[in-house]
Amino acid sequence: MSDDHKPKAESTAPELHGILAEYDTPDQLISASKKVREAGFEKWDTYSPFPVHGIDAAMGIKMTILPWFTLVAGIIGLVSAITMQWWMNAYDYPWLISGKPIWSIPANVPIMFEMTVLFSAITTLVGMLMLNGLPHPSHPLDQVKRFARVTDDKFFLLVQAADAKFDEQDTRALIDGTHPVAVENVLEDRVTPSDIPAGLVYGLIIVTCAALVPVALAVKARHSKSDKPRIHAIQDMDSQPKYKAQRENTTFADGRADREALPGTVAVGHLNEDDHFFRGRAGGGWARTFPAQVELSEETMAQGKVRFGIYCTPCHGQAGLGDGMVHKRAEPMGGGWIQPTNVTQEYVRNQPVGELFNSITNGVRNMPAYGAQIPPAERWAIIMYMRALQRSQAGTLNDVPESERGSLK
Amino acid sequence: MATEKGKQDAKQPTKSADKAGGGGSGGKGGSSGGSGGGAQGPDYTADNIRLGAAGQALFTKAAGIGAIGLLAAIGLGSAADDGFRRFSLSYVTAFMWVLALGLGALFWVILQNLVNAHWSIVLRRVGEIVAAQAPLLAVLALPIVVPIFMGHSSIYIWSNHEAAQHDHLLHHKAAYLNPTAFFIRFVVYFGLWTLLSRYYLKNSLAQDSSKDPAAIMGKMRATAGPAMIGFALTMTFCAIDLLMSLDPLWFSTIFGVYYLASCVQGINAFLALTAMWLHKRGVLTKSVTTEHFHDLGKMVFAFTIFWAYVAFSQFMLIWYANIPEETGWFKERFEGGWFSGWGLLSATLLLGHFVIPFFGLVSRHIKRRRPTLAFWAVWQLVMIYLDMYWLVMPTIGKHTAGPPFALIDVACAVGVLGVFIAGIAMRAKNLNLMPTNDPRLPKSLAFENI
Repeated sequence: MSDDHKPKAESTAPELHGILAEYDTPDQLISASKKVREAGFEKWDTYSPFPVHGIDAAMGIKMTILPWFTLVAGIIGLVSAITMQWWMNAYDYPWLISGKPIWSIPANVPIMFEMTVLFSAITTLVGMLMLNGLPHPSHPLDQVKRFARVTDDKFFLLVQAADAKFDEQDTRALIDGTHPVAVENVLEDRVTPSDIPAGLVYGLIIVTCAALVPVALAVKARHSKSDKPRIHAIQDMDSQPKYKAQRENTTFADGRADREALPGTVAVGHLNEDDHFFRGRAGGGWARTFPAQVELSEETMAQGKVRFGIYCTPCHGQAGLGDGMVHKRAEPMGGGWIQPTNVTQEYVRNQPVGELFNSITNGVRNMPAYGAQIPPAERWAIIMYMRALQRSQAGTLNDVPESERGSLK
Repeated sequence: MATEKGKQDAKQPTKSADKAGGGGSGGKGGSSGGSGGGAQGPDYTADNIRLGAAGQALFTKAAGIGAIGLLAAIGLGSAADDGFRRFSLSYVTAFMWVLALGLGALFWVILQNLVNAHWSIVLRRVGEIVAAQAPLLAVLALPIVVPIFMGHSSIYIWSNHEAAQHDHLLHHKAAYLNPTAFFIRFVVYFGLWTLLSRYYLKNSLAQDSSKDPAAIMGKMRATAGPAMIGFALTMTFCAIDLLMSLDPLWFSTIFGVYYLASCVQGINAFLALTAMWLHKRGVLTKSVTTEHFHDLGKMVFAFTIFWAYVAFSQFMLIWYANIPEETGWFKERFEGGWFSGWGLLSATLLLGHFVIPFFGLVSRHIKRRRPTLAFWAVWQLVMIYLDMYWLVMPTIGKHTAGPPFALIDVACAVGVLGVFIAGIAMRAKNLNLMPTNDPRLPKSLAFENI
């Protein structure tokens, strides 16, 4: 608060700010407004506890231009939203989402809508404050006692002395002619500072600067390098007091957090000593028969079909011909793709079931191992279904029942 | 804001009357305005609130045109020799268009009671009379629903038991989509609408001569909450039954709201046009002012945006998820790109139902000027018809590359609308077209937009 706002010497009488008239009803205010307006005044205003219908017309106030602010801001918001999304998604960092076009208008519409509303709403608020000359920290009328009832039940009209037409005697006479219940000279306010309080201004500056700190840090982080780990603001979920796989644990000589089983230990039920069932081997070579645990039945075959459909068809295809969807998608892309094996061809047909079992369990050439995903019994079921597929591709006339052969010729 | 206005009415009696009565009839209107319905009943300005002979003339004209339209449509329909399939599609389009006005009116009446609206009291009776056409609409629905009951509708394939049995998905939906269940729902829909609209019109008329109008007002307001819930459910399911089930394998959860957008926009446009027509006949000229037209215009504008919001919400989820069973419906309607076929109709709706009227209606001056408001009201009513066309007509199948606009569409639309207006005229001609005794009437008469 500078010296200007301190009360001046008592001897200097404050200047006249204007003449205030008080009315009991909005109708008196309206008719008074008409008279003041007709007298040609420009610097004057009315005050009422609520919006008075017709006061705009009586005072000769033009329709506000605020709606144009709103419209223009809305259009700017719309254009900004379109431009921003185009720049971010289609130009600066093209990013394919859900197979939609890189710049896809329907996906942009919600943001366009929101930013149109945001821009026009904020502009309407700020524009309203600006057009009304707000904030307005002090006014000479604040010093007038009777004016307090403007928020309750009284209606006021103030003609400012600053108006070119103002003359203390004539204006007073004009106002007396509007039959007010009271008239009062309003003096300039020499007590209240007319500036926004310095504390508020500095407070806003500090808050604004503080709000820029995170932005500045982010900008700095984007344009500099550091040896230190990134700032970790919220730690509770990410840093837990436990060892994770592949981490160091100094308790043990080898420093590994995940411990190996002691040599020679076997978990209960995991001895897997049956070479035929678990490894497909019998009599020193690949087993040529299905193990005893696998039942040769429709159910096993049906299960094999389902498992084959889940695990094998993506590459080998529905009929095992090596033409699955992965192949169909990968082949046109080139890049050294090798077609999956046709499991019905002769050399696969001639492989013992044990060898097929081993291929599924441990993988072969490009094919990964499926032993960890498919239990042994289901692997055998898949092989049973594969045998059926192979048979279907290598059938002869002799496989067809005699009664049906006629229909094939 | 409402409180402020109330206060103001109380404190400026002469001015309210001036505004309401166009300066004509002294301070009567406002003198009781602030008291809000005390012992002495509120007075309304000297205004003509009876239609009389003009109502009879409108009835004759509308009924005649409606009958000619319907007969022409039936003639054209039978000439097509397709088991009335083309006629049915055209008729459903026209019926759902007019039903939107009737349901919109019921929604509007319930809403004004629900929120205790003051501004709309001068228009309430007109809304009530439009809403009271529910039984007439039930009769107008017969050409659509009777074939469904009989199990061989040419456009609702689910009504045919044989067809439903042979389609896996239809078979699964048969518990809901079957003639018997539909019959029950049809009775519930139109029964509830008839009851509600009768209730509101009856009480409102009783209020005119009641010694205790505030009690009736309270009763109507108390009923509005449950009535609104009942309306929302029946309107939603009716839209699903009559519009969405034309493509019984497609579904959209926002469909009821989509139809509601047309209902609300339709009735506000319709009320504005009706009030202008009444003014030409010298009715309600002093009571319904520019301020009321301005508010109706605001609602038409608001629901221009609401329609676009709902329509896009429906589209966007389906577009983004891109699931064939949902996208097929839009694919049909986008056939032909932006400039031809069904796609052109979709583009017309996007531009004509939203973008153009948005800028057309955004200005306050346009909504306050009657010729411009009338233009946009008619425009949006036509767009609502095209929207119904867009919903219904693609069902016709692949053999037309685009909207098969034909004389039969005009005949159906004119026919159904004509009968509907005749029904309104019939009901309106001997009634007070304004609730003269409602305690809120003075505030409605003195209503002003700030």
